[in-house]
Amino acid sequence: MNNSDNSNGFQSSFELKTVLETSRLLVESRDTSFILNNLLLMLMGRLLVSKAAIFVYDPVSEKYSLKKAKGFPEHSEGNEYEVITHAEQKKLSHLPVRDGQNVFPESLTDEENSLYFNLRTSNNHHGFLLLGPKANNKPYEKHEIEFVEGLSIISTAALVNSELFNELNKTYRNLDRRIHELNTLFDLSKEFNLLVDREKISRIFKFALLGQLFIRKFFLIYKNQDEISLLASSGLSTEPDAGQIEQIFSDSDQEVMLIDDEFRQNNPWVQENEIVALIGISIQNEKVAVIGVGERVNKIPFSENDFNFLKSLANLAVISIQKTYFLEERIDKERMEEELSIAKSIQEGLLPDPIPQIPGADLAAKTISSREVGGDYFDIAESPDGNSIFAIADVTGKGVPAALLMANMQSMLHLLLPVDISFAEATERINSIIFKNTPPDKFITFFWAKYLSDHKILRYVNAGHNPPLLLRHNSDTFEELDKGGLLLGALETIAPYEQSDVQLNPNDLLVCYTDGVDEAMHPIDQEEFGTDRLRKSILKYRDKSCAEILDGIVQDVKSFSNNRLTDDLTLLILKACE
Amino acid sequence: MKNFKINHRNKSGLEVLDLQGELDAHTASQLEDVLKNLINSNKSNIIVNFKDLDYIASAGLGVFMAYIEDVRSIGGDIKLTNMNDKVYNVFDLLGFPTLYDIFEDEHHAIDKFINDNE
Repeated sequence: MNNSDNSNGFQSSFELKTVLETSRLLVESRDTSFILNNLLLMLMGRLLVSKAAIFVYDPVSEKYSLKKAKGFPEHSEGNEYEVITHAEQKKLSHLPVRDGQNVFPESLTDEENSLYFNLRTSNNHHGFLLLGPKANNKPYEKHEIEFVEGLSIISTAALVNSELFNELNKTYRNLDRRIHELNTLFDLSKEFNLLVDREKISRIFKFALLGQLFIRKFFLIYKNQDEISLLASSGLSTEPDAGQIEQIFSDSDQEVMLIDDEFRQNNPWVQENEIVALIGISIQNEKVAVIGVGERVNKIPFSENDFNFLKSLANLAVISIQKTYFLEERIDKERMEEELSIAKSIQEGLLPDPIPQIPGADLAAKTISSREVGGDYFDIAESPDGNSIFAIADVTGKGVPAALLMANMQSMLHLLLPVDISFAEATERINSIIFKNTPPDKFITFFWAKYLSDHKILRYVNAGHNPPLLLRHNSDTFEELDKGGLLLGALETIAPYEQSDVQLNPNDLLVCYTDGVDEAMHPIDQEEFGTDRLRKSILKYRDKSCAEILDGIVQDVKSFSNNRLTDDLTLLILKACE
Repeated sequence: MKNFKINHRNKSGLEVLDLQGELDAHTASQLEDVLKNLINSNKSNIIVNFKDLDYIASAGLGVFMAYIEDVRSIGGDIKLTNMNDKVYNVFDLLGFPTLYDIFEDEHHAIDKFINDNE
């Protein structure tokens, strides 16, 4: 080996060859550890050095960490050092260990003939290479220093490259993950759109989460109206009972909540199943679902990104689940509406149509229902003695219950018609049956009468119904037909019902009505139509036919209430002929 | 209907599932049904061969997550083989190699099962 000082380059072709080989080796390498290890071993072997180390500088924390150490058994790789290095020290190519400004703690080495070499690229300082004394303990010669510098520069460049590569690789993997998450979201949103099966949606959601987040424990709790239930789960040791489900739902936040010790203590089920986070999902600020997840199988903690993905996916699923409930409700509603419209046509079938004509009288009758089905009732029928019977009734309440009772009333009336008993007795029987068959808050106001056309006599019983108004031909005042007894179904018959006869004369007018007429509301004044307005209407139309009088009154009620009828409305009008 | 098929065969006393086509949210439940059936009949030494699988979505991976514990708890395992690069990348991306044995070829999985069960 040529020991003479040659400042124009490397000492020997051997040194040059080493530098070239190293550069070839390192240019391809992406492995930081390999690069640093190679640098140390090559220098230690080439220069016969038994102690060497590499410190890498982190510009963010401004600390040095010991990346590689050989021959320093008391120092572990990975140790961090807070060292104040001066700006000029970072610019020097090398500096002696003993120069009064030690770069690193003396304990690492303070032996003579040790050197720090700067690991640098053209702009940046990346750390120091420490070489202990050579075996012969002589100072490093100039050509040796240049040799080390040459290798350091190449190694540092390779180090920077590999870090950059690793960083890029990490970024690329992250990007790949994001793309995969987006694909999952896209895939599932397509799938959810096609599904109306809640159970299936929940299951697909479960699988996507298990796969994407790499978890095994999962549950989904969903709240529909007031019912909170477990829609899907995986990997649980026990399924939560209803109380636990409700507790988890109410204890969770609207956002991501990491389970802490306090929560675990209050929710033994959560602890037992090793749930680590609860995620609340809200629609229009109302919590509708809570998702629980266990830790990731490879123990890597969840990142904000993971939770964002989870929330996006959960939102998709929850909206689709909500859609299935809405759909069911709509189907139920449509079915109900269909049934109601059938009920309405059945109910309409119970009313006489067309309105039969009564010998010796003009007659008109009509019911206008405010709902699909109602509780108003009227009837006109022939009695066995050849006379006509007519009836008007109003069942308390509205809708289906009222309609059922009204149908019951109708059948009783027709059953009793051929029975040879008095009007009063028949009313009594109806009362007893209704009283027995219905709850005490259900009752019927009822007026019925028989028109004995030969003698123009009206025989009636009024069981608590709005008294029909009788307007005599030659009078402007009304008589009220209010004799009879209690309304039907309220009490067991105590006092017998009373039947009364009224003599009619030609053109006497009788108007029977239900409370839908006199209680029709003025939309602004909140005032009822009332019997006074009804009487005025009757007087106004008295000379017309019964059908025209009926239409006139209905028109007046409708315009008074601005067409908003809140109750059923029935009118039955009779006028004695000449 | 999407293109996805599962073929079930027996080899050396092991259950081999050949997946074909695309395993995604839509088809994941088919795989679930097959796995459930195997577990219910105590057939727990399962190899899933991905040779003809073109695409896998997260929901597909989720099925493996949902049943691996069940299979292992009855003394079996699910081993995965013959993935193309695209499919393997998804498994790798989400961390699956730490939990599952993934082999380049089916016979490696068979050897592993036989060695482990000896």
